[in-house]
Amino acid sequence: MRDVDRDDLELHRGLAAGDRGAFDALYRRYSSSAYGLAYRITGQQVLAQDVVHDAFLALWRAPEAYDPARGAFRTFFLSLVHHRAVDTVRREERIRARQERASNLEPATVEDPAEGVTDAADLADRRIEVRAALDTLPPEQRQVLELAYYGGRTQVQIAEEIDIPIGTVKTRTLAAMRKLRRVLDRSEAPEGA
Amino acid sequence: MTDDHGTIEELLAGHVLHSLSAAEAAEADRLLTDHVPGCIECRVTLEDFRRLSGDLGLAAEPVAPPETLLPRLHRELDEGGTRRRPLRFVAAAGVAAVVSLAGLSLSQNIRANNADVRADSMAEAAVLASRPDARMVDVGPVQELSVPGEEILYVMGDGVPMPPEGSVYRAWIVSDGAPTFVGEFLPDEGRVFLEIPFDPTVHDDLWISVEPADAPTDEPVSTERWSASAVA
Repeated sequence: MRDVDRDDLELHRGLAAGDRGAFDALYRRYSSSAYGLAYRITGQQVLAQDVVHDAFLALWRAPEAYDPARGAFRTFFLSLVHHRAVDTVRREERIRARQERASNLEPATVEDPAEGVTDAADLADRRIEVRAALDTLPPEQRQVLELAYYGGRTQVQIAEEIDIPIGTVKTRTLAAMRKLRRVLDRSEAPEGA
Repeated sequence: MTDDHGTIEELLAGHVLHSLSAAEAAEADRLLTDHVPGCIECRVTLEDFRRLSGDLGLAAEPVAPPETLLPRLHRELDEGGTRRRPLRFVAAAGVAAVVSLAGLSLSQNIRANNADVRADSMAEAAVLASRPDARMVDVGPVQELSVPGEEILYVMGDGVPMPPEGSVYRAWIVSDGAPTFVGEFLPDEGRVFLEIPFDPTVHDDLWISVEPADAPTDEPVSTERWSASAVA
């Protein structure tokens, strides 16, 4: 377990005990990552803000939803944000259509995305690893993965959108997941392992 | 149900990416209940994919949220005082605007009709809704909240219209295409909240229908009917 994961575990225990300081600490650690993810998926600051708001509030209301036995807090929380953002996109499809975004494959931009962002060093390191892992994917695998994850599309929608059989979408998605899993497992392995 | 591990792995990948169609999501739910718990290979794959899904979130460019967000959260925490304000939580979580039980007419199969049970149910719904694998789908005028592996589901809605005079909404759980009546209800000022036992090893769908209040309950007689599994 990384030091950061141990720290998160302590903060989660504090939050579960009703410690507002622990809540604030987790907010400081993850709000920028969560907001960036929600904004990339929803493409709207108002929606992204609601997603992050709801995720943190859900965490406070039901801290037991996170089971430390199932992995790091960050992966739980960002999965929570991801699912809520995708659900929001699907509910707000009409709003999204008005937005005239050029592509979901490109990160949405805001006036100054870096302003005020304080990314903990450990998160920044993992971010670099994940991006590097994505760069190892063949373009066709990366495309389906990003349309699903950041675009909030179903596999059926992806097949229609890029005009390939649904079976190919599934195959490419699984191949991408397997490769990312291998690459990230290697990068996360302790030295000497 | 498939037992081919390659196909299962594809479904698990789509499941953690939240990108399955409704029919495939139902199939994934069944796998998560029937197969994965007893298959170490699939359990490892699922946990790996879940971690990967969380990590993918880090690849998005971090963006500082508005400065007003933390104070907004603090205000809500202050207003809540302690935890377990399920009405507010469920509303805030975006899974349903407002929920309520008052005024419902329900059979005993739907856990429903007193304030203590209502609070418990809403707390449980709040916990379920906060899980990453929680699934919310529209079923006609209401929404269904479910989580793979949980033998319970919630039906909720706000702004639900009253059915035509002399009619009621009825909920049915379905096994192999055969519906079983579980209860009937009317919205209370447009609001609905129901907790329904649901065994995913036996049941495969939820139907909501509009029926004449005096119609028999052995099967739906109306064509005005919605299915949870028919929603993408």
